[in-house]
Amino acid sequence: MPTPSSSPSVGLDPILDRLSSSDCEVKFKAIREVKNHIIGNRTKKLSYIKLGAVPAVAAALADSDPNLIVQSAAALGSFACGVDAGVRAVLDAGAFPRLIGLLSAPDEKVVDATARSLRMIYQSQLAPKYDFFKEENMQFLLSLLKSENENLTGLGAGIVIHSCKTIGEQNILCHAGVIEKLSSLLDGSLSQRDASLESLAAIIKDNPAAVSKFVELHSGRALRSVTDLTKDRYPRTRLLACLCLISVKNSSTCYLQDIGIKTKLVYILLELLDDSGQVGDEASFAFSSLIAEKEDMQKLAFEANAINKFNCLLQKCPVQPKRLEGVYLALADLCSKLECCRSSFLSLQVLNLVVDALTHEDAGVRTAACICLRSVSRSIKNLSAGRFMNERVVFPLVQLLSDISTSVQVAALGAISNIVVDFMPHKSTFIQCGGIKELVQLTKSMDSSLRLNALWALKNMVFLADKICKEGIFVEITASSIASLISDPEPSVQEQALALVRNFVDGCVYSIEHAFAEDAIILDAVGRQLLKSSKIEIGIQGMYVLSNIASGNEFHKEAVMKLLFPQDENGSHSFFEQFLQSHDSRVRTAAVWVVINLTFPASPGAFSRVVTLRSFGIVSQVKKMVNDSCMDVKLRARLALGQIITFGDN
Amino acid sequence: MPVRVLENTTPSQVSGANSGRSSSQSCSLLGVGQAFSGTQNVSSVQKDEAWRVNVRIQGCDLEHGYLCGTMEALNVPMADTPVVTFWEGEIVDTKNYTFFTGKWEATPEDDIRHWSKFPSFSPLLGQVEVDGGKSLDLSNYPYIFMRWKEQYFVNVGTDCGLTIAGFYYICFSCSDGSISGFYYDPNSSPYQKLELKSTNDGRSGFSFSSYELQ
Repeated sequence: MPTPSSSPSVGLDPILDRLSSSDCEVKFKAIREVKNHIIGNRTKKLSYIKLGAVPAVAAALADSDPNLIVQSAAALGSFACGVDAGVRAVLDAGAFPRLIGLLSAPDEKVVDATARSLRMIYQSQLAPKYDFFKEENMQFLLSLLKSENENLTGLGAGIVIHSCKTIGEQNILCHAGVIEKLSSLLDGSLSQRDASLESLAAIIKDNPAAVSKFVELHSGRALRSVTDLTKDRYPRTRLLACLCLISVKNSSTCYLQDIGIKTKLVYILLELLDDSGQVGDEASFAFSSLIAEKEDMQKLAFEANAINKFNCLLQKCPVQPKRLEGVYLALADLCSKLECCRSSFLSLQVLNLVVDALTHEDAGVRTAACICLRSVSRSIKNLSAGRFMNERVVFPLVQLLSDISTSVQVAALGAISNIVVDFMPHKSTFIQCGGIKELVQLTKSMDSSLRLNALWALKNMVFLADKICKEGIFVEITASSIASLISDPEPSVQEQALALVRNFVDGCVYSIEHAFAEDAIILDAVGRQLLKSSKIEIGIQGMYVLSNIASGNEFHKEAVMKLLFPQDENGSHSFFEQFLQSHDSRVRTAAVWVVINLTFPASPGAFSRVVTLRSFGIVSQVKKMVNDSCMDVKLRARLALGQIITFGDN
Repeated sequence: MPVRVLENTTPSQVSGANSGRSSSQSCSLLGVGQAFSGTQNVSSVQKDEAWRVNVRIQGCDLEHGYLCGTMEALNVPMADTPVVTFWEGEIVDTKNYTFFTGKWEATPEDDIRHWSKFPSFSPLLGQVEVDGGKSLDLSNYPYIFMRWKEQYFVNVGTDCGLTIAGFYYICFSCSDGSISGFYYDPNSSPYQKLELKSTNDGRSGFSFSSYELQ
């Protein structure tokens, strides 16, 4: 049912008039009234902003009365606190430079109020970026951090948190001695400690040099202080201390590798997940950064029953989108490497919750759910058991292929790429859900990440697929489109396109015909790409395409011969040799398989092919490879040579 | 491949893959998608019998010494259809896994007795007796030793009268892709021999497909 609007009663009480009154007393009271109204009330903030109150409040900063300035600064800070529209209104009113100027005011109350207000503004991404590379700015920042005034030091830390994003910025702050200044605040008040921890984390994140400087500061005293703060009574302080330590740990294999501290970090973060506020939301993201890509940390987290903990969090209703996103991403990291984690995830039925989250209204949650599904579906044991290839999982995933968010589409493609590897030949569930059309459509996208991942999914789908499935996909995608993708501007897309062709021409001999459709447009594209690309992955996939074709009948073998040894190249040199001489053993292996298949003893034209191979110096090259440093290459070269010798040594 | 149940046994649990450095070189004939076919001798004192067997490699993670795939037994007398099982393998790379099984009711003596049935094992015997082969470098050895343990039935229920309680000692030849194996289950006939050869789907040569998980 509609309810009366809570906007300020403009008609009855012309607040704007009072805010602009020439009577100081009236103006003061009006600003105070606005300030008291809006504190902690987002709706009222928005109403006053809409009303145009912010410029009127900001105008009071130019007044000579310190009390009025203090009220104005406090009200502006309140407008900016947690509401981006408020920050924008304050900036648009031109208050920002005035507030900066007031930091040098003689009145301490004015300085305090101004610093608090600016701290609020700096909590928003909309605040102007602080340029640390300007000498005067750095001096100003250092003066803030050196100050005895808690609000000024807090502002200094806030500026660092807001604007220190690049390694260059981290380095210049490090060089200027900001780490030392911030570390000295670790013993300060609660707000100073938190600000110090957060700004330190911003400076040392992914920066080994900055981490070293911090760790070695005062013979490790600063690091010990941060470690102690992981036991602080305030959850936010514990979280920030953990974030600092995670940055230290992740930067190098030298620091914080002790099992005790690693386990401690896992347990503290798991406990912080219980916080119902922002700390709980952020704890799962911190947990992810602690365990991502690290099998040992994932093992520790598994032993600490982390999967069960996240599962319990998901059972609570309703869960806010930010928290859901964090939890699914943390579960994704947990299940990214270890089968024991995936087994636990599946046995706790978390899969059902993840599948539900695929249709969540928040794009971040949908993306996270896809990423989680991608991790869990790395389990070959469960893929092979058909655990994921069912309508309940596949249908919503296929729907996400036409999501409005590209991130969601890419993440869905990641999950689909894994799930289609079910080792079954027909893939009927995926086809019935309309997945093929969607995937093929995405291979034509302007966005290369979508083309890449769509091809990846198709490649995995064609792996061991039967004739009908392959035919269905081939008709949809067409030979000419595959040929274009082999020549895509992006090398990673080229590689996936070649790998797709490799799988298309695997299986029954009939499959090889795919390469010859539309006047062999695909085979021509493969040849052109192999000629011009020097990328290893292109070489590997291209060689296996040729090898698979060369394992077919005489016509197929001769087509590969024509591609590798064109007649106009007068029998002296072939680009094929460079693949046999590649520094990468995987390319050499694939190239020797081509030779093995071309000289397969039972095939009628093998002898004439051996003659050609010899004339192009390929046989001599293979002879050199029989003692290759790579065992696979060595054994294949010996097999090839054994076949060649059956036709005589010369 | 499943064998007949002789008495009530429950399948052993396989541990998750351990972390460790890889010391196996990849062998293209043992890659994902590769297929093998042959027989398993299931003869007993009563009669000579061999079941036709197809194997397909589905996953390979050399870093963790892990391999997995399916095994299809074709002419199983008590089954109407071919019986397919999913197996997981431990590659004896001496980092993730040694020649000593340490589980599945296999003692070091059982291990050595079975490994010794492979001629290619004899140069390694002395060291394996000392430390299970921990100090051996097998990265350039042209044979790959493995244990394959069936985990579940893919297409039949557990009440099919067959058991997968045992496991296989496997020796793979990198040269020609042939596989020899011996099934070990204290409750089944000893030394049931598995013999498989690389297959090529009717092609005049070798074909290789691939997939990559994201």
